Amino acid sequence: MLKATLKTAATLFALMALAAPAAAHFGAIIPDQAILSQDDNLSLNVEVKFLHPMEMHYMEMEKPRAFGVFHDGEKTDLLESLVAAKGKSADQEEEFTFWKIAYPIKRPGDYTFFVEPSPYWEPAEDLFIIHYTKVCVHALGLEEGWDEPLGLETEIVPLTRPYGLWTGNLFSGRVLLKGRPVPFAEVEVEYLNESPGNPAVVIPPADPFITQVIKADADGVFHYAMPRAGWWGFSALSEADWTLEHEGEAKPVEIGAVFWVQTRDMR
Amino acid sequence: MTQRYLPGLLLMLLVFLAAAPAWAHKVNIFAYVEKQTVHTESYFSAGRPVQKGRILVFDSNREQLLEGQTDAEGRFSFPLPKVDDLTIVIEAGMGHKNSFRLKKSDLHD
Repeated sequence: MLKATLKTAATLFALMALAAPAAAHFGAIIPDQAILSQDDNLSLNVEVKFLHPMEMHYMEMEKPRAFGVFHDGEKTDLLESLVAAKGKSADQEEEFTFWKIAYPIKRPGDYTFFVEPSPYWEPAEDLFIIHYTKVCVHALGLEEGWDEPLGLETEIVPLTRPYGLWTGNLFSGRVLLKGRPVPFAEVEVEYLNESPGNPAVVIPPADPFITQVIKADADGVFHYAMPRAGWWGFSALSEADWTLEHEGEAKPVEIGAVFWVQTRDMR
Repeated sequence: MTQRYLPGLLLMLLVFLAAAPAWAHKVNIFAYVEKQTVHTESYFSAGRPVQKGRILVFDSNREQLLEGQTDAEGRFSFPLPKVDDLTIVIEAGMGHKNSFRLKKSDLHD
């Protein structure tokens, strides 16, 4: 008992020590199921967050500007169905707002959930952050829709079918900004340490392990092989060609295209 | 010699049997009820409809209630035959087969 507590305390301490300098912000949409078949509970629980996935630190998330789902070629607005909730990591004292929704799946096909958060003011970087985030849930055997762009300001469009992925699989995607590929886009990758079923919190041995950094090719295409079972976030960052005002001053806006996929161990 | 290979062969057979649901040409069926009519849609996983597929409808005692054929869009509809747990089977030839269970509790709509 004491040993376990000590171990947890040591883990948390290690995370805290590592956390501060290298934390990458990620918008996140995490559903409780990524693949639904007819024997599954067809009511999906989806959580929308703003966090540091590896360190598990939550950040306050205002009500998003837009939230919805894309299915069968159509977007459905679900913003008013979002419910506010509170959460935090084990080593955070304060609780932070995130958003939840219960969504009943009624028909076969792919369901891509998307969020446009309200701009997040980050004083440490002297800019606003907006992460346009997506996740794709597959239902009832009809594999249709996952490869379609949604027309967001910036977005990752998967080139690998984004569900049914094994640990170790390569995930490929294309980064779009206003519908056009972003050559040599920088893509940050993080593991969601609070992934359900994660047997032990991953403690990065050094800062560069927290956020993996890759660059897309000249066509905006990137690849990454995921070494652990759980949820992986991909975030391609651009600077908006518009600004937002903070205390009367025009400030730059970091816009992120974020996509989440889940891997499972092959066994 | 034969005995040595037998476990391997049996294992392969088992894998074949277990694997069926995930094949590339996997056929699927989806059904829902609207105004006392059962609508079915049959499709291959990549989205193509199952044309001229054979539909079989069974009640909870595995008694066959009716039979039909999908149209060019993979659809087949029929009046609700019975208030019961229904199993709707699609047979698309070449061993392509799947079923959808429509629960009694899902029948009103």
